[in-house]
Amino acid sequence: MLRIDIQAARDSATLHCAGRIVLGVEIEILRCMAEGRSEARLVLDLSKVDAIDAAGLGLLVELHCRARSRNGKLRLTKLSPSVRRTVELVNLQLVLEVEADEDDWDDEEAQSPCGRSMTA
Amino acid sequence: MPDPAPAVTEQRVSREFTFPGDPESLAGSRQAVMDFIAPHCSSDIEEVDILIAVQEALANAILHGCQKDCSKTIHCSVVIDPTAFTITVRDCGPGFDVEAATRAAEADMNTTTHGRGIALMRSLMDEVTYRNGGSEVEMRKLRGV
Repeated sequence: MLRIDIQAARDSATLHCAGRIVLGVEIEILRCMAEGRSEARLVLDLSKVDAIDAAGLGLLVELHCRARSRNGKLRLTKLSPSVRRTVELVNLQLVLEVEADEDDWDDEEAQSPCGRSMTA
Repeated sequence: MPDPAPAVTEQRVSREFTFPGDPESLAGSRQAVMDFIAPHCSSDIEEVDILIAVQEALANAILHGCQKDCSKTIHCSVVIDPTAFTITVRDCGPGFDVEAATRAAEADMNTTTHGRGIALMRSLMDEVTYRNGGSEVEMRKLRGV
């Protein structure tokens, strides 16, 4: 299961993910939600993701490449220990924009008065 | 009075599974395997490591071995003894060149959207052995490591 809460600001959107990002409907839901955003900056909050598999990692690379091709940016924040470990096992922290740890979290989107929230 | 069975035998538990080879069954298949394994895990990290490895092995069997054909089946066996978790996944496909697939994935690891499954399995488990031309994979995770 994967739950995604969306918080949108003027030029950025944060997708707060909870559950597992694995092959199947979970991957398709995240792809659909991410590709449906028109903001230039997309932030994935992975603090409540307890597992990600190779297909999930592949989707992160796909979304990263898609954002760059549109002069946008994909940023991964608040990685759970499990997700961080998996990302680092395949060295994707060198490719993706990954915040070093939770202390680096820039909360501007969350505090934006333009922000709104919805659950899918 | 018969000799008591060795401790290893007493504590050894195992289960055999058969799953359909279609993608829609993946989540349920993974859950069935993990329902058996999880109570024996000593930490969340150990459980998640095994979960991801099982997910990758089952996904490879469904996507590549069974070609998403629900009429084909996947066999999975789990053996838990005091030293290790041993999970074997076997499909009915023709197998594949494991080394060639590994090299291809490593060559394009930074940008490819596929091909990280074998690398993940090898990183998360202590031993990963392919047999029968790649149609069977045995994964071992030492306990308490």
